[in-house]
Amino acid sequence: MEEKIYDVFARKSRGEALSHIGYLEAPDDALARVYAWKTYDEENWFEMCVVPRSAILPVNRDDGPFSLGGRSKAQMGGRR
Amino acid sequence: MSGFQAGLPGASEELIAAFRRLLVSLADSKRVLGIRYSDWLLGAPSLEAGIAASSMAQDEWGHARLLYATLKDFGVDPATLEHDRSAAEYASVEALDAPFEDWAAFIAGVVVVDGALTVALEGLLEGGYESVDGRIGKMLGEEEFHHSLGDAWFRRLAGGSPEAQERLRTAVRAMAPPAIRAVAPGDEAHRTLSDSGLTLPAEQLRKRIRDRLEPLCRLLEMEVPEATAATGDWDSTRGRGAGAPAEDVVERARGDRNRALFVE
Repeated sequence: MEEKIYDVFARKSRGEALSHIGYLEAPDDALARVYAWKTYDEENWFEMCVVPRSAILPVNRDDGPFSLGGRSKAQMGGRR
Repeated sequence: MSGFQAGLPGASEELIAAFRRLLVSLADSKRVLGIRYSDWLLGAPSLEAGIAASSMAQDEWGHARLLYATLKDFGVDPATLEHDRSAAEYASVEALDAPFEDWAAFIAGVVVVDGALTVALEGLLEGGYESVDGRIGKMLGEEEFHHSLGDAWFRRLAGGSPEAQERLRTAVRAMAPPAIRAVAPGDEAHRTLSDSGLTLPAEQLRKRIRDRLEPLCRLLEMEVPEATAATGDWDSTRGRGAGAPAEDVVERARGDRNRALFVE
C-alpha cells in the first residue's frame, strides 16, 4: 500500500496563524483528513488543514524538513 | 421538532418503555462497537489507521455514556446499566456479537453498523427529545469523521484484490440485515415511537440507510442487503435478535476485573 506524507497545519482560534503541528502518512487525501483529525486531537482546533508534502515548494533551501517531495519514510530508506 | 420534555411527562407507559428501549439499544451498541474498534488499535494497516480506530473507540464510548446518562430522565441509574447487567441483558445489535475478524470486517462495521446507528441518531434528533438534542449534534459531528474513514477505506478495499472484495462483501452481507432491523425494526414499540414523532418511521430510516450503502455496495457489484425478517428470533424487550455478545466482551464493557480492585 503506497502512502504519501501529508503535513498538518492547525490553529486554535480565528485570529491565530496556522502552525505546522506534525505530519502523517496516508494512502489518499480523504484518509489524510481523517487521520489528521484523529491523530492531532489534543486541542479543540478552530481550523485544521492537511497538505501533501509533494505540493510544498522549497524556496531558499533544499535540506529543510519539507523538501523531501512527499516521499514516504520507506521510500527514503527510513530517513526523514 | 416536537419539543418533547425530559422524562416525557404525561406519556403512556408503552411510549416510555419504547423510548427507553431505543436509548439502551443505541447506548449498548455504541459501547460494544467501541470495544470492537479498540480491538484494532494494534494490527491496523498503518499506525495512523490504528490511532483512528482508537479515537473512534473513545468517541463511541463517549456517545454510550451520554446516552446512558439520558436514562436518568426516567429514573434509571446509569451506573446500574453500565456495570450491573449480564451479557444476556445487552441490547447491542447482534452484528457486533462477534469480533471484527479482519480489516475488511472493521470497515464494514464502520460503514454498515456505525452508519446505521448514525441514522438512528438522526431520527432521534428529528424527534426533538430535548435532553438529547444538544448531545446528538456533537455525536453526529464526530460521526462525520467515522463516515469519512469508512467511506475512503471501503473504496480502497472495493478497488483492491479479489480477496479484499470478497471479505468486504461477506462482512456487509453478515452485518447489514441485523443492523438495519435493529435500527428500524418497525415493530409495535417502534411504531409507538414513530407515531408520537419521537423518531422516524421504519421505512424512512431504512431508506436513509439504503441511500448511504447503495453507492458503496455498487462498487462490489452487490445489492444492499434487506433487513432480517421479523421472524421468531426477534426479542422485543431488547430490540434485537436472539443471542448476546460474549460474556468476556461485556466484562470488558463493565470493567469488572479492575473495578473489583477499588469499588466496594
